[in-house]
Amino acid sequence: MLTTVKDAAAARRSVIAIAKERGVRWVRLAFVDVLGIQKSVSIPVNELDDAFNGKVTFDGGSIDGFVRGEEVDMVLSPDPATFIVLPWTEDGQVEARILCDIQMPDGTPFEGCARTTLKRVLEDAGDVLQATQAALEVEFYLFDLDPDGSPTTRTADAGSYFDFSASDRGQEARLATSIALEAMGIPISSAHHEHGAGQHELDLSAAGVLTVADRLLTVRGVVRRIAQRHGLHATFMPKPLEESAGSGLHIYFALGDLDEAVRLHAIAGLLDHAPGFTAVCNPTVNSYKRLVAAWDAPVYTVWSHRSANALVRVPPAFGNEPPLIEVRSPDASCNPYLALAVLVEALADGIRARSLPGDPFTGSTYELPERFRTEHAIKMLPRSLRQAISALDEDLVIRGALGDHIYHAFRDAKLAEYERYRRAVHPWERAEYLRVF
Amino acid sequence: MHEKVVPARRIRRDGPETLLAYAEGLARIAAGGGGPQALASHLAATIDATVLVEDAQWRHLAVAGTGERAIPASVRDLIAHQGDVEDGVALTPPADPRARAFPVRAGETRLGWIAVFPSGARPIDEHAGLIRLTAAQIAVELSRDAGAGRGRRRGFWDRLLARAYEDPLEAREDAQARGISLALGYVAVAVEGEGLDEAVAAQRNAEIRRVCLDTLGTRTGDVVVIERGGGFFFLVPAPLEVDAANARTAATLIPRGIGRAGLDVKVVGGVGRHAEMISVAQSVDEAREAMTIARRMFGGGRVMPYDDLGVYPLLHRTGATREDWRMFATRVLDPLRAYDDKHQTELVRTLKLFFDVGQNIKEAAARLNVHRHTVFYRLRQIGEIGRLDLDSPHDQLTVRAALAVDALDA
Repeated sequence: MLTTVKDAAAARRSVIAIAKERGVRWVRLAFVDVLGIQKSVSIPVNELDDAFNGKVTFDGGSIDGFVRGEEVDMVLSPDPATFIVLPWTEDGQVEARILCDIQMPDGTPFEGCARTTLKRVLEDAGDVLQATQAALEVEFYLFDLDPDGSPTTRTADAGSYFDFSASDRGQEARLATSIALEAMGIPISSAHHEHGAGQHELDLSAAGVLTVADRLLTVRGVVRRIAQRHGLHATFMPKPLEESAGSGLHIYFALGDLDEAVRLHAIAGLLDHAPGFTAVCNPTVNSYKRLVAAWDAPVYTVWSHRSANALVRVPPAFGNEPPLIEVRSPDASCNPYLALAVLVEALADGIRARSLPGDPFTGSTYELPERFRTEHAIKMLPRSLRQAISALDEDLVIRGALGDHIYHAFRDAKLAEYERYRRAVHPWERAEYLRVF
Repeated sequence: MHEKVVPARRIRRDGPETLLAYAEGLARIAAGGGGPQALASHLAATIDATVLVEDAQWRHLAVAGTGERAIPASVRDLIAHQGDVEDGVALTPPADPRARAFPVRAGETRLGWIAVFPSGARPIDEHAGLIRLTAAQIAVELSRDAGAGRGRRRGFWDRLLARAYEDPLEAREDAQARGISLALGYVAVAVEGEGLDEAVAAQRNAEIRRVCLDTLGTRTGDVVVIERGGGFFFLVPAPLEVDAANARTAATLIPRGIGRAGLDVKVVGGVGRHAEMISVAQSVDEAREAMTIARRMFGGGRVMPYDDLGVYPLLHRTGATREDWRMFATRVLDPLRAYDDKHQTELVRTLKLFFDVGQNIKEAAARLNVHRHTVFYRLRQIGEIGRLDLDSPHDQLTVRAALAVDALDA
């Protein structure tokens, strides 16, 4: 314990020293709400020491899904390991950002903190999942801006998968993003054009699960910021264009040197809990416009070695490296901490229950007859946010991973979102019915 | 009427004296003819809790309790895991997080669960000793009841494997009369210890049986164990194809399980194909044959599914007919043909040519008029679609035999 305290103190001193050395003037203390939206409180750099001592509080009552009105003072607890100096300046002032856990005023962890929830799930899963790492493939679109700066759905290019079009603005923005992320200590293993015109992908190198969640949060912000500087709008909206591929978030897990049997149990855990974790990994109404039988989006709880539209893919390993487990359903509109928490819980539950996933599937999963699905216990992923919430309600393991506070806050927010969607009259309905009835 | 037992006083911690007094109470109840219900009531009154006892098929055996809290209808889906159970297994929400379930075991066989839901503030863990004593006594009662029925049940499986039933209905009615709940289908797994010294064979076999049951354990019902000769047949309930696939996978993991358990023994085994209940004897024959082939052709130390043996069952069987060979070739080549038809590919042609030119990729590419990378790509596709490892001499033999049968039939 003493060593840990010493280490923590050393890490804090190191952060303060770096901040001074790099001329940082302001530090953003960042955290996420239950929906995964990044919030921050800016402090002058000379207040950083106080922040490390738990002296920066904020009004929790004003944040979605946090606390009841009478419990408002919440403490930001910065994690020194997440300190980064932003590679741009505001009016010449150097800024840094540090991610925070949220604590109650008495210093105890706040059970509505998504980052703390992921830490707890990782700790609980430690009995069966050790040295687990994750890597991400993040897809997004870059759209043109109107002269007034509003985003459009016009794309800056007409490229396709892996296209090389060195001169377009999208490519330039993607390159600048990769450079900025590398400068922030977020290694990118590759970056390329995706299927859709204007669609791009960044692949984040493997790291510890918490680190990967932190990085995704950063990546979303940096991609938007740099796109803006290139006169573009970046969106991680899962399905911005009806006739183009949706944007997914493919999550790879490396389970260390666990043997083949344990890997099968883990895959089974993912398949078993897929309906339950979908609301968390695909949390918007729009997410379900992507999860249709097209553009390689998964729709069934199927695993495969090669099929591009299976929910779980275990591609052939390179050399002696253990195979990776890829989960293909999530999208980047999720709360990264909660999405990784429920996926880790599903992996761990499969291992603990020693579940088995059936045989791997070959070919496209889009044409599975009902009888085949019944015989192979293949379930369809939820087809709407409402269905997904019902599936979450029924999955006690996934609910347990979220904890009561987050489960209820998340559920309430998503039911309200779905109700707003249900009440809205959409352009499609007018086009379809206005002249007919 | 069994003797009425006055509940022991409320206890804070189960010391040796308390345990002894409680065990004597259990013995008196049992001697007086009290079954699981009386035993559960005694426990509930002693530790101020509500007690639910379920058998291995999750049927209620007893409910007793002082608490007014609602308890779940069953703990079937609430048992968090089945690992270390000294202090019981926690139940998942919505069950009370303090509740615990303990297995009711007779030896290695799990006969059911006893779940305890606290009424007061005291943790269940403090009473783990009393609960385990109760579980043991209930196990004795269940085993005693089961003893008579076991012989009758064994008779059913013997008749089924002897193909003595005319039709499924007759088998089902007989099973029902003997208190057996049948699955729609089964997968048979044969397992034997290799080179067991007679002096330790009985002990080793008991350990092998335990590991096999642990590995094959299924959510779809009880695995039937049949001892034959020096080994075992396990009939794994498999109502669906996915259950059969999982049974096959689990069976192939048995040697690892033996290793993980630290047993100084090697096993060999085979897995039959998925069969309807009435045809389970066929699956048993296949499992036995697969075990023989695994031992002779692959050197033992593994459990091999019949479906993965390729041409060997036909070579092993005396009297394989022309039709048997034809069906074998169809089974190997049809998935590739179906793929070719659907996608306008040339997988079967590529495969045939690959062997015709002595597995020379360059030559095959030249003959097919494609780049050699295309040949590699197609061979990989063939391996995946046909579930074949073309680097394995065994699978090469299977494919060559299938192609030869196909050519001779053309």
